[in-house]
Amino acid sequence: CGAVLQRLRAAVHYTAGCLCQGVAEDKGVLFSKQTVAAISEITFRQCGMSAWHAKRSTITSEDVKLLARRSNSLLKYITQKSEELASSNMEQKEKK
Amino acid sequence: RGRPTSLHHKSALFSCPKELNRHENWSLSPEEFEIWDRLYRLKENDGVKEPILPRTQFETLGNLEETSKSEEEAVHKLSLSEWSIWQSRPFPTSMVDHSDRCHHFISVMDMIEVMRQEQGDCSYELELQPHLRIEDVNVQRSKSGSSVTSSA
Repeated sequence: CGAVLQRLRAAVHYTAGCLCQGVAEDKGVLFSKQTVAAISEITFRQCGMSAWHAKRSTITSEDVKLLARRSNSLLKYITQKSEELASSNMEQKEKK
Repeated sequence: RGRPTSLHHKSALFSCPKELNRHENWSLSPEEFEIWDRLYRLKENDGVKEPILPRTQFETLGNLEETSKSEEEAVHKLSLSEWSIWQSRPFPTSMVDHSDRCHHFISVMDMIEVMRQEQGDCSYELELQPHLRIEDVNVQRSKSGSSVTSSA
């Protein structure tokens, strides 16, 4: 189990590095390796744990929206993404 | 400032049983209002700024939340980062245990404290590098080497 967690951590760390790179270019700043490592560990810890504890077997997009309920701007963003995703899924089905 | 200690505050608010019957409204009774006004309410001559919590702001999203008042100088914005060096170990609890999320926060603060001493190479990165499987990640843009950042 420990090896799986380290593998997941490594993947999150790599991706966090890519995303930080994008922000760095955008803002004209540099992220130290330690900063990226800390952001990555925070991200890792913000994920999985809650998903593993969820009792329901199928998590839906409504549950995801619920995670964003505290911030109006975040909720709006997630809702919009969810609708985009739903409509593109519909298109995919129609093509088939 | 000539005010009673916090111990007196508590006894003033919570131990007046004869007022209890009248306390059925959501609002303060005249007696409670008098106590609040005298002991707790912040007034101009207190020389203390009104405490407020910082509002949520998302740097990467459009902000729907109200923009904070312009008279922010007159308030004391409660800081959640001012005492960060105290936060790498659990603070005492009274009735409510620390949550998982709180323990994660403490762990990361501790990790940051350890990394603060590092120069250049990052131990976290070195430890994880052997575990990286390229099929787990989205490799779109070509990067020179695996390192995407420069050291501090």
